[in-house]
Amino acid sequence: MAASIIETTGLTRSYGDICALKPLDLLVPEGEWLSVMGHSGSGKSTFMNLVGGLDRPTSGSLQVGGENLLALSEDGLARFRREFVGIIFQQHHLVPYLTAVENVMMAQYFHSVPDEAEARFALERVGLGHRLKNRPGELSGGEQQRVCIARAIINSPKLLLGDEPTGNLDHKSTIMVMELLKELRAEENFTVIMVTHNQEVAAWGDRTIYLDDGILVREERLVKTDEG
Amino acid sequence: MIAIVYKLIPHLLSWFCIVLVLLRCFSVRRSVIMIAGISGFICGVADSAVLFRFFSASTSYAVIKSALGASFFLFWTIAVVAVYRSGERSTTVSSRARWFDSSFSAGVISAFIAIVSGAICACRIPVVDSGALTYAVPVLAAISLAYASLCIEKRISVSFKAAPLGAFAAVVALLLFSSSSLPRLDLFSPLSMKVMKGVHDFVHQFMESILIPDHLFVKPIVWKYIGLLFGKEVGFWGGIIIWFTPVLLIALAIGSARLPSVAHIRQGAQRRKLLAAAIREQRLQLVIPFFSIVIFAGAAYQSSFPSVEYWDPTPVAVTANQAGEIFIPKTGEINLEDGKLHKYLFKQGTREARFFILLGPDGQLTVDLDACAICKPDGYGQADGAVLCYYCKTLIPLETVGKPGGCNPVPISFIEKGDGVAIDGITLINSWVSTVQATTRVTEGGK
Amino acid sequence: MLFRILKNSFLKRPKAVFLIFLSITMGAAVATAFLGIAGEVSHKMALELRSYGANILIEPSAAEGGGFLREEDLPKIKTVFWKYNITGFAPYLFGIAEFSSGGKRERGVVSGTWFAKQLEVPGEDVSTQGVKGIAPWWEVQGRWPEDADEAIIGAALAKRLNVASGGEVTALVKGRRQLFRIVGIVTTGGYEEEQLFAPLVTVQTLLLQTGKVSRVQVSALTVPMDDFGKKDPSTMSKDEYEKWYCTAYVTSVAKNVEEVMAGSRAKPVWQIASAEGALLNKLNSVMLLLTVLALGASATSVSTSLMASMAERSKEIALMKAVGADRFQISSIFIGETLIISVVGGIVGYFIGDQLAEVISRTVFNSTIASPLWLFPTAIISAFVVAIAGSIAPLRRALLVEPVKVLKG
Repeated sequence: MAASIIETTGLTRSYGDICALKPLDLLVPEGEWLSVMGHSGSGKSTFMNLVGGLDRPTSGSLQVGGENLLALSEDGLARFRREFVGIIFQQHHLVPYLTAVENVMMAQYFHSVPDEAEARFALERVGLGHRLKNRPGELSGGEQQRVCIARAIINSPKLLLGDEPTGNLDHKSTIMVMELLKELRAEENFTVIMVTHNQEVAAWGDRTIYLDDGILVREERLVKTDEG
Repeated sequence: MIAIVYKLIPHLLSWFCIVLVLLRCFSVRRSVIMIAGISGFICGVADSAVLFRFFSASTSYAVIKSALGASFFLFWTIAVVAVYRSGERSTTVSSRARWFDSSFSAGVISAFIAIVSGAICACRIPVVDSGALTYAVPVLAAISLAYASLCIEKRISVSFKAAPLGAFAAVVALLLFSSSSLPRLDLFSPLSMKVMKGVHDFVHQFMESILIPDHLFVKPIVWKYIGLLFGKEVGFWGGIIIWFTPVLLIALAIGSARLPSVAHIRQGAQRRKLLAAAIREQRLQLVIPFFSIVIFAGAAYQSSFPSVEYWDPTPVAVTANQAGEIFIPKTGEINLEDGKLHKYLFKQGTREARFFILLGPDGQLTVDLDACAICKPDGYGQADGAVLCYYCKTLIPLETVGKPGGCNPVPISFIEKGDGVAIDGITLINSWVSTVQATTRVTEGGK
Repeated sequence: MLFRILKNSFLKRPKAVFLIFLSITMGAAVATAFLGIAGEVSHKMALELRSYGANILIEPSAAEGGGFLREEDLPKIKTVFWKYNITGFAPYLFGIAEFSSGGKRERGVVSGTWFAKQLEVPGEDVSTQGVKGIAPWWEVQGRWPEDADEAIIGAALAKRLNVASGGEVTALVKGRRQLFRIVGIVTTGGYEEEQLFAPLVTVQTLLLQTGKVSRVQVSALTVPMDDFGKKDPSTMSKDEYEKWYCTAYVTSVAKNVEEVMAGSRAKPVWQIASAEGALLNKLNSVMLLLTVLALGASATSVSTSLMASMAERSKEIALMKAVGADRFQISSIFIGETLIISVVGGIVGYFIGDQLAEVISRTVFNSTIASPLWLFPTAIISAFVVAIAGSIAPLRRALLVEPVKVLKG
């Protein structure tokens, strides 16, 4: 068993009186593909935000990649996000006035220095070599999501977070995106945490946890079939 | 005493910054720097004092000025070499770098710099009537400033490094800044003068023989450009180019230094991170050269627009010949006809007299006591178009200097002898004594 | 990359950028105009009060009632203790006259003076005394009078009489007439513009006041007044009195001159000018206040437009944060944007403000101003100040954006 990349004990997040995440103990081994399922409002997005350093827990301990996220300052969390995490959102969230390649380069810029050749190569890897100079508005939903994937992996993160990445995509695009993620994971060996309410998407992972009302209710380990 | 401290401010400020830069440059050898620096400064002050006591002022200034000139020349050489080598990638520590890192070299370098710095500082102190106490002021100030700089240096973030190249640029800039406020040590003005002369000579010697005015290929427009070379500005701009080029070269050398090779790192993110760190370090290293550019500009400014502060020459000691006559040549070490006030000190036995010679706006030389008939003999300085009495701060128009009365300096009769000015020593002493006795009823205490 | 982000963000939102640019330009223009005028007013005042201008006024002392000074006393001014500090003086004799020229009739002041008189004083060098020397700020269009019937006329009076250089003006005083040939029009920026200046002798004859003058303006090189100079000489110790006496304070020079002019009172001009100076100072404070208010208004408007665009850009900021931008990187993008706009705005604002200053000074103060060089950095700096002040609140808001909340929706 590989060392765990995420370790939480008693992780809690509440917004005022509403408790979005009840004390949660969870271990995620390095290299695992974890699917998180639940209804909307079940706390799955909250969990993802906490792990990705976008939000701070109310109490409990949270170790990601050996760093205690509770001890980090705001700029420390920003550094953690750019060096350790890649995030793919449901609504894509690309900067509208930058081209595809510039959107990828922006992530490089915040991380260290921009390198256009490398950004092009990343887009070619996700099959967008022909749409480098297009702005997000000129791309289809699937293409935009692939730009997001290129942006998320450009800084070689240890942890890739997906917040319903296929939520706005049709079936064909969904398959394409999931295939792409699987391929990239095989090459780069990052850990994946994928929040979804789609049973089919969840089935791409190694393990699925079910959250309901902020409580881990069920855990399911998939038996690996070679064809996914 | 306070006046002396005030005058020393730019020099002491430069000294403070020099120590700061040196400490940061050799940050592992702080104690060596402190000891070498402070003893060097004391040594420099002493050297300067000895020079001015036993040699003529022009020799003393020449010695200090050549030390400055030599450092500027060395700076040029190092800058050129640095640019030449900036393309190379240093893989092993060269013997040069190892020598540079030793505590011996750190001590020698800082001692030399401190000597020059101290010598410049001491030039500000008037030679006459200055005892050991007057020299103690700058020395004590320098020691305390060096300690202050040590305290501050320890607090500056470690990531802020002073590369030897940048540190050298800053030290040279600060030394030149310190010297630029002394007209006789200033390098920039003579430099631009030399450039102007050189360009003019060049145009004369070469162009004239080659380019005949109605030459077939020389269009009028070309003559216009050649005419520019004769302008007064050419010296200034030429001087500016020579002045700023080395520090710009050093900035260029640091800026264009090869970044570490990252090609062997396969992962893009890691590669970029290394690059970003290297670029950040390079930018931090550029801070000191840019700071030096500002200092160089300050020095050039100070030299081209000397502070409106009055021209305050140190009296030059003169003696009388057997006939009791003081003869001062018009040209030579001091040019009497440059429109500036030149002070002299004449001693005969226990009695002494201070006087000055000045070429008035009417083209006539005038010899006057450095005292008026009313005020205490604090003497005069020269400001813009006027002479200023140090005691009552009254401005006396230049054209009336040489006329008796009012707050004007007391005129002395003299004979203009072809190439010089002759004054009778006895008359001088007598009129000084009678003037001063009439005015020094109160004991000295104001100054 | 920073440059690319900035360029594209400008191109994407031209309207918002233009709005911010406009506010900054306005601020810089107003600051340039007002500060330029204020500076020019102080400059003109300083020019009049500076040590080389007339700084001592000699008038007949009220006690003796004669109302006139004697012209024959004038050369004595060059023999006093402070003679070398007195750089020049000019006598004046005033009278009310009825001027007529080309059918127009106006009442005005006829003033006799020395323009540039060679003065010979026994035992002293020959010197040139008169208005020309002590009032270097007078602008004469044409030339200075040389003959006894030549005169220069103040710009305002010339306008009323509709007379130009080269014309003729007849002055009528109590039935006596004198024809003056106008050889120049003088602009001084003061009450002198309502007068006609002719040689002293001619006016003395016209007014039947031979050998008399009404006042003398003296220009002396003096030491600025300090606390010591203001001390009452009678309370001083011997040493202090000696120092005071030997220091060229304007008061000591005035006292010195008063002693040689029979029946005179010498006043330092700053006493007279202080009322005028107070008014100008008030005017200047109003200008400064207006400048501060205008800058404040621009900063507020910059702040408002930035706030508005911040609301629409909060998604973008949240995204940048999510990707890993720290506070410094976010700030450099937004501050960089406003600074670029403010540099352009400052330059444009300078040119607009320069024109504005000219228009204002022409219409309000009826004088032209020369735009000093320091206005350019002033414009740029005020643009920066507006930009920075205007960005503080929006930037704070940008830094407080929480990616989780914004990116959720």
